Amino acid sequence: VASRLVLGAHALTPSHHLAASDVARLEAVLSQSFTDLQSAYYSIVGLNKLGVSVADTDEACRFLQSNVDPTSIASLFYAAEASQSLSGCEIPVSNETRDFLLAAVSEDSTISQIHNSVSTLSSLGLPLASQEVVSALTSRITKEDNVYAITLALQTAAHLSQQADLSGILEEIEDLAARLDDLGGVYLQFEEGLEATALFVTAAYALSDHVDMEPPLKEDQVIQLVNSIFSKKSWDSLSEAFSVACAAAALSNNRFHVPVIVSALGPATVSHRQPLLQLQVTNVLCDPLTSASVVVESASSVTTKITLFFFYSSGIFELNFMNSQPASGYYQFAVAVTGDSRLVANHIELKVKVSTEVVISNMDLSVVDKDQSIGTKTTRVDYPSKAKNSFVADSHQNFAMSFQLVDVNTGVELTPHQTFVRLHNQKTGQEVVFVAEPDSKNLYKFELDTAERKSEFDSISGTYALYLIVGDATLENPILWNVADVVLKFLDEEAPATVQTKTLYVPKPEIKHLFREPEKRPPTVVSNTFTALVLSPFLLLLILWIKLGANISNFSFSPSCILFHVGHAAMLGLMYVYWTHLNMFQTLKYLAILGSFTFLAGNRMLAQKAVKRIAAEQSSRLAKYRSLR
Amino acid sequence: DPGDKRGVWFLFSVLCACCLADVARGDGKTLVLLDNPNIKDTHSMFFRSLADRGFDLTFKTADDPSLSLIKYGQFLYDHLIIFSPSVEDFGGNINVETITAFIDGGGNVLVAASSDIGDPLRELGSECGIEFDEEKTAVIDHHNYDVSDPGEHTLIVADPENLLKAPTIVGKPTDKPILFKGVGMVADPENPLVLDILTGSSTSYSFFPDQPIKQYPHAVGKNTLLIAGLQARNNARVVFSGSLHFFSDAFFNAPVQKALPGSKRYEQPGNRDLAEALSRWVFKEAGVLRVGAVAHHPVGESTPPAAYTITDLVEYSIVIEMLSEGRWVPFDGDDIQLEFVRIDPFVRTYLKKNGGKYSIQFKLPDVYGVFQFKVDYNRLGYTHLYSSTQVSVRPLQHTQYERFIPSAYPYYASVFSMMAGLFVFSVVFLHMKEKEKSD
Repeated sequence: VASRLVLGAHALTPSHHLAASDVARLEAVLSQSFTDLQSAYYSIVGLNKLGVSVADTDEACRFLQSNVDPTSIASLFYAAEASQSLSGCEIPVSNETRDFLLAAVSEDSTISQIHNSVSTLSSLGLPLASQEVVSALTSRITKEDNVYAITLALQTAAHLSQQADLSGILEEIEDLAARLDDLGGVYLQFEEGLEATALFVTAAYALSDHVDMEPPLKEDQVIQLVNSIFSKKSWDSLSEAFSVACAAAALSNNRFHVPVIVSALGPATVSHRQPLLQLQVTNVLCDPLTSASVVVESASSVTTKITLFFFYSSGIFELNFMNSQPASGYYQFAVAVTGDSRLVANHIELKVKVSTEVVISNMDLSVVDKDQSIGTKTTRVDYPSKAKNSFVADSHQNFAMSFQLVDVNTGVELTPHQTFVRLHNQKTGQEVVFVAEPDSKNLYKFELDTAERKSEFDSISGTYALYLIVGDATLENPILWNVADVVLKFLDEEAPATVQTKTLYVPKPEIKHLFREPEKRPPTVVSNTFTALVLSPFLLLLILWIKLGANISNFSFSPSCILFHVGHAAMLGLMYVYWTHLNMFQTLKYLAILGSFTFLAGNRMLAQKAVKRIAAEQSSRLAKYRSLR
Repeated sequence: DPGDKRGVWFLFSVLCACCLADVARGDGKTLVLLDNPNIKDTHSMFFRSLADRGFDLTFKTADDPSLSLIKYGQFLYDHLIIFSPSVEDFGGNINVETITAFIDGGGNVLVAASSDIGDPLRELGSECGIEFDEEKTAVIDHHNYDVSDPGEHTLIVADPENLLKAPTIVGKPTDKPILFKGVGMVADPENPLVLDILTGSSTSYSFFPDQPIKQYPHAVGKNTLLIAGLQARNNARVVFSGSLHFFSDAFFNAPVQKALPGSKRYEQPGNRDLAEALSRWVFKEAGVLRVGAVAHHPVGESTPPAAYTITDLVEYSIVIEMLSEGRWVPFDGDDIQLEFVRIDPFVRTYLKKNGGKYSIQFKLPDVYGVFQFKVDYNRLGYTHLYSSTQVSVRPLQHTQYERFIPSAYPYYASVFSMMAGLFVFSVVFLHMKEKEKSD
């Protein structure tokens, strides 16, 4: 078990690298126009690391010369480093500036300042006292114990003379490496993030190359670092892109470790049509490793172990695997890349697929009676045509289908991963899928028991389009074949109750309130007739009164008389208004006013009448009396 | 003490206003659970788009022992992103129950799984009506896989036609196909709230890619859910993606082309747009509605009466607003319905857009009782909008009935002739001059 674990650990291969498109995007990020000296430094040096130069070298140089501030160490550093990457660009430095830079190398400066001034002095080709720098750095490292500072110290040490005692600083590489976090055995990075990790890798290899000592990083650690640095494909800032470019340059060109990226050109698939397995062997920057040679150490799944050599042609390693006549399926290749002792991750497990093409043969369709299996007529259908007649199966019948799947190239029967039978009801959009299974002779048989399967169809009778779906990862020609139309008839057809499942989000039907119909009324002729009859007594009264000689000759136009009758009429009028408009309380209020007023007027009128009548009676009595006398 | 009570109400409304303002800014504290910190780098474009939109992202590994979602009964975060498919046990005091409680409390969750799916995510899926397929299975489609598929036909090119037809959830319709690689799901048919955001094609299925199919696959054909969503009854939103790669920088940038001969090549898949639209929806930046002022009154008046009378002509209006780019703007919908309900709806009618508000005039039914004006707007992709206003409707007063029915004219005639008779008689009786009998 232990040895297997070790093997498994050795099988760690870079899972992330910069593909050609990623390099192009990295270049694009770095090729932004400069806004200040710092961005100019990132762009120029970053592009230089990728092996590209700035579009306009003279323009860039002028930008550096005009923006450099001789009183700022950082500014001098950016300008000096960037000018190094531009051919024929010089930053003029005065003696004072040189003294200023030399003065910065002391225990009182930060590591960043020391780094900047040492790098500047070294890029300008000015002399510096290496041992002093070492002692300044050593004392500062104890004060500034963070990843960025120590990384800068490593970077600084790479500029110092080899005579100086760099062993103390070299040990820092190991210390820093111990601080790296292992994430799931795949990634190795600092808590501080991608930029710190990338800069550390750059500095570690710069210093190791400088002193010619292998950095204390194991092969797996290198691969894990590659994974974590190149897993991010979209860079947030210029400095992040710069750090990735530097790390990529360091990992693809140093004296000790060059991780190898082996990738298949296109899918790792061979077939009779495309018998060549093509591999790309590159470094992390996607540059082909021309000096390498590629050997297949084993190709398992087939029992035979064979050693096959890839042939190199124009950046691509090729192998005609079909020469060994493999059956279709997956093959585990153990590939070794040799030719350079620096190569890391040069033993690679590769899954290679041998694909083929399939053809459907002997497709027979029939409808079988359950009671008597004799007398069934089978219909043969040839791919890719569709059966002319549709098949009808009711609940006493089974629909049956049988076919074989054959490899076009070898004639062998195949059992692909996916052999599904799909029944699709075009009206309802419902689809039901069954799995067809092969028997021991690899003959596929599919039977649809209409009675038994009715629940899967929701008992909806109708015409279903029958499709055969054949697919496998090793098949180049997946098949989707509309074989025939099948009419299924289910016995107890239920109302499609399950249809209204997704009605949660649709408007509900409108509801209009149905007002109660007014009742039918009798004809108005009847009521009009009776109205006339009811009114006739009043008319009769008037006629008879006129005949009898009724009169109102006694009417006196005294105010009380008029007011009484007006009040009386108003009270009767109030009854009408009560009927049409008022409620009882309002009516009683008005009636009280009208009533008291009419009462007073009536009282006065009757009193006047009485006075008049008494006077008249007296006078008539007097007259009678006189006449009697 | 009523003053106190008012104070409490005031505080409550201020709190509500704060909540709304919070949502309106489209941000919110978001906890991101990762399998390992590197996912932050491999999915940086997705996280950057969230951060640019104002989300306050807190990244933690899923087994971090300091994890906590609820403290002293308060939610520490508004949203939760679980990008840790393989987690077997969440760290700290997060587990499936707390996540479920978080959803019940209105929190929004975005879950991405992969073929390495662990038990907690499967359980969480079951809680939400989504059944993930087993670990190590993958959605396979031999007819619709990408040219860069590594060999098992699991790098699927999903047609945008298989997207849910709901622009608030999936964004503007596009023809860009979607790259997917991961585990399949099926929706619980009993749960009507599950949304099939992205389904596989008819030829897709979910199974172990390296084992022959001996049993019926978990998901087949269009039943295979690649991305599923859920809006709970409390408007909490959950999105499950079967693929963590779906959100990755690599899938955002990869050119996509189906492997079948003659397929069209797209320089970019629809992943980026879809992921952004989904995150907008799930974190309540899109499809959020609220009710503004509600008014009702008889036509021709401006204030509601104490009680309406049956068959009154009534005007009802409601203001509905939608959150857009962090501001509340008038919502534009043509299918908002008003119901006039007494236990059952008596009237259901469409509201018409009228300036900034929706209104309708209608005649009240000839039935009296206690009614409600109810707007219950539940549409795909939008939060559930509900407003109900109670009014009473009384029968006609006695003065409001019909006064003169033709069939009853004889009665009116008799009464009025009686009254006329009385008046004429009183005049004649009082003022008649009798002829001298003696003559």
